[in-house]
Amino acid sequence: MKAGLFIATAILYALACILYLLLLTRGSDKAQRMPGTVFVAALGAHLAFLLLETPSPGDLPLADISQILSVSSFGIGIAFLIASYRFDVTILGAFLVPLSLMLFLASGLGSSYAPVPPRVQSAVLTLHIGANIVGLVAFALAFAAGVAYMLQERLLRRRQLSGVFQRLPSLDVLDAMGLRAVLVGFPLLTFGMITGTFWLLRSEGSEFYVSQALGLVAWAIFASVIVLRVAAGWQGRKAAIGTMMGFLFTLLVLAGYAIRAAAGSA
Amino acid sequence: MRDFVVVGLSHRTAPVEIREHLAVAPDRLEQELREIAANGRLDEALLISTCNRVELYVTSANPIAASQIAKDALAKRLPEAADDDVLYQERGIDVVRHIFRVASSLDSLVIGEPQILGQVKEAFDAAKGAGTMGTLLGRCFTQSFATAKRVRNETGIAEGTVSVSSIACELAKKIFGNLEGRRTLLIGAGEMGEAAARSLQQTGTNLHVINRSEERARALAESCAGRAVPYERLTTELADADVVIVSTASPKFILTPELMKSVVRSRRRRPLFIIDIAVPRDVDPRVANMDNVFVYDVDDLQQVAEENLAVRAREAALAERIIEEELDAFSAWRRSLELAPTIVALRKRFGQIADEEVRRALPRLEGLTQSDRAVVEAMGRSLVNKLLHEPMTQLKAGAGELDGALLIDAVRRLFAIPAEKPADKEPSTQSGEEGTVTHLAATASGPTGESK
Repeated sequence: MKAGLFIATAILYALACILYLLLLTRGSDKAQRMPGTVFVAALGAHLAFLLLETPSPGDLPLADISQILSVSSFGIGIAFLIASYRFDVTILGAFLVPLSLMLFLASGLGSSYAPVPPRVQSAVLTLHIGANIVGLVAFALAFAAGVAYMLQERLLRRRQLSGVFQRLPSLDVLDAMGLRAVLVGFPLLTFGMITGTFWLLRSEGSEFYVSQALGLVAWAIFASVIVLRVAAGWQGRKAAIGTMMGFLFTLLVLAGYAIRAAAGSA
Repeated sequence: MRDFVVVGLSHRTAPVEIREHLAVAPDRLEQELREIAANGRLDEALLISTCNRVELYVTSANPIAASQIAKDALAKRLPEAADDDVLYQERGIDVVRHIFRVASSLDSLVIGEPQILGQVKEAFDAAKGAGTMGTLLGRCFTQSFATAKRVRNETGIAEGTVSVSSIACELAKKIFGNLEGRRTLLIGAGEMGEAAARSLQQTGTNLHVINRSEERARALAESCAGRAVPYERLTTELADADVVIVSTASPKFILTPELMKSVVRSRRRRPLFIIDIAVPRDVDPRVANMDNVFVYDVDDLQQVAEENLAVRAREAALAERIIEEELDAFSAWRRSLELAPTIVALRKRFGQIADEEVRRALPRLEGLTQSDRAVVEAMGRSLVNKLLHEPMTQLKAGAGELDGALLIDAVRRLFAIPAEKPADKEPSTQSGEEGTVTHLAATASGPTGESK
């Protein structure tokens, strides 16, 4: 049952991925709602899967890295839906849905991940994980806006003005979206780092060096992006590159945990 | 048989100096149509007049005479120097194809431009108002609107912008999103630069004009509700602008990397879109490599225009196919229009012959009882029915086929069925069948009848 649901969700995500990519590269007059419909179906299946995962009603499915990846993937999907509903950025599904799919598939490797031992569980840990997941979701939106910005700028400079260029939002919209998402994600990341450190000190653990270092790098990158944007008026390409780098480092933090968990269970 | 004729000229056959002589103002269209219809033996008339074409569409039972009348109506307004050659004419189904192509913007100077359909609709309304529109033109034009809509929806003929000014606007929108409240700076006074500045202003940007000659700047600024700025303030103006259009006659680069470097710094790297319309260019190519500065020159814009035009030309082939489909539908309608009266006339003619022969034979037969006479009469009618059964079936089946018109024509000639008087009779046979055009038929029989 669980395995079947996982495969169904993955297939739906993959299908939505293909449809969004086709929407970006080919455009479409008639099937504009198709990708969205398939994606909502994928999210539905994912939600069902998450409910199955939850140990007992009311608990959050955040017990191990696998579930964290899964919830992050789900969160990105929900955030994208809200963003595309409020702003005209549906086309960004071509960048965000693959990200969702990737995280979901990574969570599927989770049978090999070790669960977090009960003794390290605490409210502080839940806060730490929750804040970081929401932050990650915000950074994912910023990342997608950054990728789209880079692509759009490249097309503009190379004078390839038909097709994809026409379908992507304007540089201004993408830049503003990138800034706003980073401004939302940064306080959450900061909070996540503080709670994480606090929890680590209290549980007297000292084994998370690599992840912590990566997290610190990501935090520093985002901090400088914000400072440069606000103070020095950075805009456009450089800000987009900074944002993308920051997001990649946050992904690395997650990857670090996943590898550790996988190694721990072996 | 009533048929279509079109006589006219367009950008394909005549230069603007000649076209402007024939152009008719929209509010004069009805008057003009009444005059044309009054002195000719035309059943219907419709006049299209745009800056790129003047065309007179008529229908008449005598198409050859009608085309001469239509030609004279236009030719009398041609300037002395112009040849009659500038006028083209078409007859029959080619007229229908022509109006389908015109309405779908396939015959336009810029293929796919959207205005023409509105202009054809205005011409249609004027003909209705003048009472010179009947069943045939009515049906033909309403179907041309449907065809144009299909072409627009089913092909990419109207996609992409094809004028340099509007391409500049679209690019600006792709960079800045909303242009409302952004600032355009126009440097120099080239005609093309002015046009681009105007279309940018229409999207809601503020316009500042800068020129070496302050007088020229002021005149230009006044004419398009912008603000003239002295040339010394070039650097600060550049720092505040979002879109810069440069079109000076300067032989050297005006926007050099050194100048732009300080500008970019003082504008805190906000994006800047520079459109270099000058030849020779005003913007040093190195400026284009700067961060958040996007430079397009006139060749770039023109290339985009050409690419979009090429796309439209490809789509035009698709559109032609749609037009042929619609033409088939129109021909089928016309055949069905002729079919009913042909069948009625054929039956009538055969019936008359049978009745006549029976009447002649009966007196020569003696000693017939009442029932015997009835048998002979019934035999006459039944002979007619049997003989006509197969031809009728074939005719009806033929109405939907491409050669149906030939069949109808052959039957009419073989059995010497006279062409029915148009205008008076045709609408009456049609009423009820064609709901959309019956009201036009009513207006048509009025004025055209009077004119005879």
